[in-house]
Amino acid sequence: MKLTIDQRWDLIDKIAKQTITFGEYRHTLKDTIGELTIKPFTGLPIAIAVMYAFWSVFGSFAGFFTDGFFVRLFDAYWLPWLQEVFPGQGGWLYAIMVDAGGIEGGEFVLSDNCLESFGVLTSGLFVAIGVVLPAIVIFYLMLALLEDIGYMPRLAVLIDTMLHKIGLHGYAIVPTILSLGCNVPGVTATRILETKKQRFIMMTLLAIFIPCGAQIGIMQDVIPGLMGWILLYLIIGYFIFGYILNKIVPGKAPEFLIDVPPYRRPMLSNIGKKVWGRITGFFKVAIPFVLLGAAIVGVLYQLGVIRFLGDALAPVFVGWFGVPKETAGPLIAAFLRKDLAVAQLSVIEMTEYQMITAVVLVSIYFPCVATFAMMLKEGWKELLGAMAVLVVVVFAYGGLIHLIGILLGVA
Amino acid sequence: MAGKSSVAAIYFAILGIVTTAFGIADILVTAGTSEFAYGILEIPGDIFRGGWGGVIVLFAGLFYLSGIRNFDDIHQFSKIVMGSILIWIMAGCDIFAMITESIPGGEDGPWFNTLGGFIGTYAPPYAPAVLLLPFSLVVVYYIRKRNQEI
Repeated sequence: MKLTIDQRWDLIDKIAKQTITFGEYRHTLKDTIGELTIKPFTGLPIAIAVMYAFWSVFGSFAGFFTDGFFVRLFDAYWLPWLQEVFPGQGGWLYAIMVDAGGIEGGEFVLSDNCLESFGVLTSGLFVAIGVVLPAIVIFYLMLALLEDIGYMPRLAVLIDTMLHKIGLHGYAIVPTILSLGCNVPGVTATRILETKKQRFIMMTLLAIFIPCGAQIGIMQDVIPGLMGWILLYLIIGYFIFGYILNKIVPGKAPEFLIDVPPYRRPMLSNIGKKVWGRITGFFKVAIPFVLLGAAIVGVLYQLGVIRFLGDALAPVFVGWFGVPKETAGPLIAAFLRKDLAVAQLSVIEMTEYQMITAVVLVSIYFPCVATFAMMLKEGWKELLGAMAVLVVVVFAYGGLIHLIGILLGVA
Repeated sequence: MAGKSSVAAIYFAILGIVTTAFGIADILVTAGTSEFAYGILEIPGDIFRGGWGGVIVLFAGLFYLSGIRNFDDIHQFSKIVMGSILIWIMAGCDIFAMITESIPGGEDGPWFNTLGGFIGTYAPPYAPAVLLLPFSLVVVYYIRKRNQEI
């Protein structure tokens, strides 16, 4: 059946009468709260509160499982049991799989906790399951809640002006926050940015300044008191080097248009699906890399490669960055697993400021292998460019942090 | 109606002043890098709960104070609601932290806490936001009342 133009208009009128209500619109409380969260003057305090809640719940939840149960399970039961039943104590396979131990008075001594043993089945499993799993579960749960309530687009609008200073726009908050869970989906999410310039800046900043959930989880566990300072240094670096990159990288940084939805009650089934999908995705990438990373680090230690590189690079670490020469090993191992590197750093004797510097260096040092592979997938030219920026940033920012420490009299 | 609104405005003005004072106290105590405890009140001295959290309590107080004029207007009323939401966020985080601390048995104890230890975690002193929580809940009455009027 074919309708004439008049019949079409009649049909449109009929549908409109049945579906549209005319009258004066009265603002509801939900509308006005929605407006408050988007205006800078009132929206920023609310954003500060939301971020506080995010990290407070993250810390409490992760601490509950890691400190409350997993530390005891791994240190008091799993590690001693493996140390006893795994054959070849003191041998290279034992060191790589269970416990590298230490030498005291010429005798081999076993480690008493999973952070110091550095074995694939001890440190590797403890980091993956005992530390990273609770951190990732609560991170993705909170993120899904914020998304489904409708807060994320508001955050994007609020932060838009600030991100324009570094050549990005409000949408850049999505890859940035995703990267706090895992850098791999963060790098993929840079595709939502329109221009090559924006994608390059975003990818470079993610790889350098955004610590992943695994690293944040282990920092929360081993150096909770210093986490605030470390994150502060990283946020400052994110904006300083973003500003510089925006000035030197050619290309356009366009404005963005966004549809801000009304606040909605989140649906449990949606949240469940999102969290499950992200966690399984993360673990498919992270668990093999954590275990493989622990194995490769163990082999490199056994072969003396890390000790050799550490000794060779010690003058740079001590002189330029102001950290003890023992940190050279973990910093080199950080290329494979940053979370394991932070765990290794936590057992080295140093001042609080040196610890802050060393962990910031771990963060801004090469991205982990998984992120490296994902960046390569995005284009080798972009990867090479990002690596060039990274080398400059590590030396410039690492040196600057040391200089600040000297000026403050704490380095 | 106008009389009831003025009672509400006075109530939230007082709550706003107290909340703002608590927020400033939080920040000052954190700046002094030590904890402060008096009776059932405890002001944390760490940069996260005292500093960052103190700023949020201060903003909650300012939201209350900025919303009391022309209380019946929905835009003004939403500021009062937002002040309460900020208090709920802070208090909710503190209570969630208490719950997660109360269940495990501690480093050298059993896997789970004893009943005494569990209940003891919830004993005073409390952070300012937890003390302000019951007073901030009054806003729920006004939200329901407003919904009924519509």
